[in-house]
Amino acid sequence: MNKSSRILYNITKSAAVVAVVLAVILSILMIANYIQTKSVDPLNSKAIAQLLDQLQENPNDQALKEQIRALDLLARKAYFTHLWQLRTGGYLLFSFVLVFLIAFKYMSSFKSYLPDLNEAAPADVTWENKLLSRKYLIYGGLALFAIAFVLGVLSQSDINKIGRLGAAQLSAFPSVEELRENWPNFRGPEGIGIAYHAKAPTEWDGESGENIVWKTPIPQSGFNSPIIWEDKIFLSGADRRTQVVYCIEADSGKILWEHTLDDVPGSPAERPRTSEDTGFAAPTMATDGQRIYVVFATGDIGALDFEGKRIWAKNLGMPENHYGHSSSLITYRNMLLVQYDQNSGGHLLGLNARTGAILYDTPRDTDISWASPIVVNTGTRDEVILNSNPYVISYDPQTGRELWRVRCMLGEIAPSLAYTDGWVYAVNEYARLAAIDTNNPTEVAWEYIDDLSEVSSPVAAKGLLFMPSSYGTISCFDAKTGERLWLHEHEEGFYSSPILVGENVYLMDMDGLMLIFSAAREFELLKSNSLGERAMTIPAFKHGRIYIRGEKHLFCIGD
Amino acid sequence: MRFCSRSAKTVFLLVLCFLLFLPSMNLSQTQERFPKPDFQSGYTRPDLLTPTPRSQLLEYLDVLVLLVALALATYFAHKLRSRRKLFVLMVFSLIYFGFFRKGCVCSIGAIQNVGYAIFNSGYAVPLTVIIFFILPLVFTLFFGRTFCAAVCPLGAVQDAVVLKPTKVPAWLAEVLGILPYIYLGLAVLFVATGAGFIICQYDPFIGFFRFGASFNMMIFGASILLLGTVVARPYCRFLCPYGVLLNWMSRLSRWHVKITPTECNKCRLCEESCPFGAIKTPNEPRYQGSKEKTVKSLAALLVMLPLFIGGGGWIVSRLDESLSRQHFTVSLAEQILLEERGESTVLTEETKAYRASGKPREELFQEAVSIQEKFRLGGWFLGGFIGLILGLKLLNLSVLRRQLEYDVDTGTCLSCGRCFAYCPFEHVRLGLITPEEAAAQGARDPEAREKNENENV
Ligand code: SF4
Repeated sequence: MNKSSRILYNITKSAAVVAVVLAVILSILMIANYIQTKSVDPLNSKAIAQLLDQLQENPNDQALKEQIRALDLLARKAYFTHLWQLRTGGYLLFSFVLVFLIAFKYMSSFKSYLPDLNEAAPADVTWENKLLSRKYLIYGGLALFAIAFVLGVLSQSDINKIGRLGAAQLSAFPSVEELRENWPNFRGPEGIGIAYHAKAPTEWDGESGENIVWKTPIPQSGFNSPIIWEDKIFLSGADRRTQVVYCIEADSGKILWEHTLDDVPGSPAERPRTSEDTGFAAPTMATDGQRIYVVFATGDIGALDFEGKRIWAKNLGMPENHYGHSSSLITYRNMLLVQYDQNSGGHLLGLNARTGAILYDTPRDTDISWASPIVVNTGTRDEVILNSNPYVISYDPQTGRELWRVRCMLGEIAPSLAYTDGWVYAVNEYARLAAIDTNNPTEVAWEYIDDLSEVSSPVAAKGLLFMPSSYGTISCFDAKTGERLWLHEHEEGFYSSPILVGENVYLMDMDGLMLIFSAAREFELLKSNSLGERAMTIPAFKHGRIYIRGEKHLFCIGD
Repeated sequence: MRFCSRSAKTVFLLVLCFLLFLPSMNLSQTQERFPKPDFQSGYTRPDLLTPTPRSQLLEYLDVLVLLVALALATYFAHKLRSRRKLFVLMVFSLIYFGFFRKGCVCSIGAIQNVGYAIFNSGYAVPLTVIIFFILPLVFTLFFGRTFCAAVCPLGAVQDAVVLKPTKVPAWLAEVLGILPYIYLGLAVLFVATGAGFIICQYDPFIGFFRFGASFNMMIFGASILLLGTVVARPYCRFLCPYGVLLNWMSRLSRWHVKITPTECNKCRLCEESCPFGAIKTPNEPRYQGSKEKTVKSLAALLVMLPLFIGGGGWIVSRLDESLSRQHFTVSLAEQILLEERGESTVLTEETKAYRASGKPREELFQEAVSIQEKFRLGGWFLGGFIGLILGLKLLNLSVLRRQLEYDVDTGTCLSCGRCFAYCPFEHVRLGLITPEEAAAQGARDPEAREKNENENV
């Protein structure tokens, strides 16, 4: 190497050393920066989440809004600065590595890689090498296949089993039509008080037995209403100690089986306090034709098959509810939906109907309510809509994601919602009757404030809305304009809810007297028939018959 | 002095290339999938990482560049036998196909497009992609792997970082040599079943070309490059699926580079020159133990070959469930199952979107099962293929072919030209020494040695 080459060599060497040192330092800094940003995660700042929570409580707090905006901007700045740092660091690192590589390659061109020819040539080991390679290749191949075999054995998934078994068996859920053929939950299919494809008797007398097909005493009391799937009727009853599910043959009224829901994991030893007119079995059961589902005031929830065998049962945590939990169950596809509103905040739960596993648990920032969910298709999507104080809130039933909310309610909410043609109607005593267009769910479309319902849920159909009250009034409104078309005053109050059957509305007062009137813009009472027993539940319609749970009996009414 | 000026010239050329293309790294156009939001705050949006689909014309420009690069690489390797020119061309390819084109389209990834088109009649593979897939193979079939020497950006980025190559023991190279076959088989299986393009997904260098990738992929790429400083081109030799096809083509190549331009006098000077272990050394047909035993073991291997194929197929077909998890539908179905059983409490975005779609669950599961069935069938082929390769390799290792002189292994030689300058007859070709000198002294001649050193960039 001559002198100038040596100088060049030394310069290159220094450049290589400096470049490699800088590259190492930079790499460490970049990795540290990455890890730090990942751990802080400015885009999901806890502080902002807390402030957003506060904003939900005080939606008009301008200062809070400003604070959130400022913090959000800061977080975004931090994030983009981090990106900028990474990118700039990347370019710098690339340059250092490039300098190092060029320098190193230049330096190595001075070095010789020639073998020392003065040494004797190494022995010819080609064959030995081949044998050695063959040996290790056999070992390697065997190891590879052994690992593959073990992996194959270990990684059996249930997908295959489920798919082969026919997912239908494990996860089928009824079509909307099938649901409408039956009476699967509180207030019938979709929970909106409409009996599809149903004819119903118009005359009966519980006392004389006229048109009473059968009448079966139900051992355990409960305010829940009967549900029906094909030829079986289900209802539940409970007291402080016992929680029972009954299955009754629709034809004969015979109790086919009863199942006591006991030994539920997590069930509270001490029973909750409930009011007399709520009791321990107020929520109506639900069915999807695969299983039947029941929930009690203890928070015990379970699924049974149609033979009364328990499939799963669990406790949702004892509800903090000063009257007793009364929201009814409803199914959506292969899920069971539970409105679990409590004094300490509510939840909408989506459970796997087959296993009871929680698929989603959406917290609700509303006050306690006793209403039940409705599940409707609003034109383009399915929605589960809940009535509560102060909001009527709609969720995606599949995910529990909130779709919209309208602030319009007050007080202790018991009436469930009515629905027709994309409009939802919410009511509560001392609050208002509010109509909401689900296509524009930003505000109340119209409202009415007289003769409001306390417990009974309104029903809407054919452009009309019918709302009874616990004072005995029945109001009829134009569903789109809110104009009250008529008011009928009845001597007894209503806790049960009206059901639309064909052209008529069936509404039972607290004494068990069923009023049958036309679903028309003018009031026309067609018939009134007595059950002969007090009743506050919702009648169920199927087989051209009506099934009514009185205080003590289940009645089957037919021509 | 002459040495200094030549080295300086190379460095200057490289720096010039780099400076010329530096802006292209950042300024190359990218495409928006959705209209940009109109920011009022003066916020400037960061650049995207995914390259724009090119206009037809520019795509053909890429093809033209590929063709010219291949032709030049072949010319430099075969005619000029110049390592230096190959190196400069390699740097150009790295900048053009790597940094400028951001690693896409590439011949390695094109395997998947072609495979997908074969198994999916609804997919029309672009002509340029087919050309990218076929052209290097055609060149290799005639001239050896000149594509690897100076055109492939993945090879180039690794070649650029070779600092102190160490020799990988022959047995280890043989065992690791099975990996590219597995990778190729897996890549084809995944495209055949619609599970995805894993070669692109796990391309270790794409993050460098695009100046951005996931942290894990960056670490993976950096590790391969770091390893590449001491084990020359580890990805090319022990992973590259396209390398398998190139290897096959190269074995059949009509003309392949040779270490010596004329004859080999077994001077041993080139013995250590190949960082890829692609030089075959002279040997004698000499067996350990009796020849009879060798023939017997060869016969046994031949008989066992169907067993390797069948056994491999059976074992890999059992991997259907784990392999199929790579498929989105199967992994979604599994996640849904976990969530429904309460084994996964946090819902993923994918399962939320699925639930929102309202698609019946049984449809998803049946789809997942039919995908698993495809994997099972594909597993038979993949396992059989691996078993076959393993058997053939074992057979090959059980025969000793006579090697008379130092020569390149046509399958693994990348035609990089490093070894040329080590041959004294190359120096004769260049007019540096006389044939007599070469025959008598080989490269011990000081002038020839200096030439060696100069050429060894
Ligand atoms: S050309 Fe020579 S140095 Fe390069 S890969 Fe082939 S044998 Fe090895």
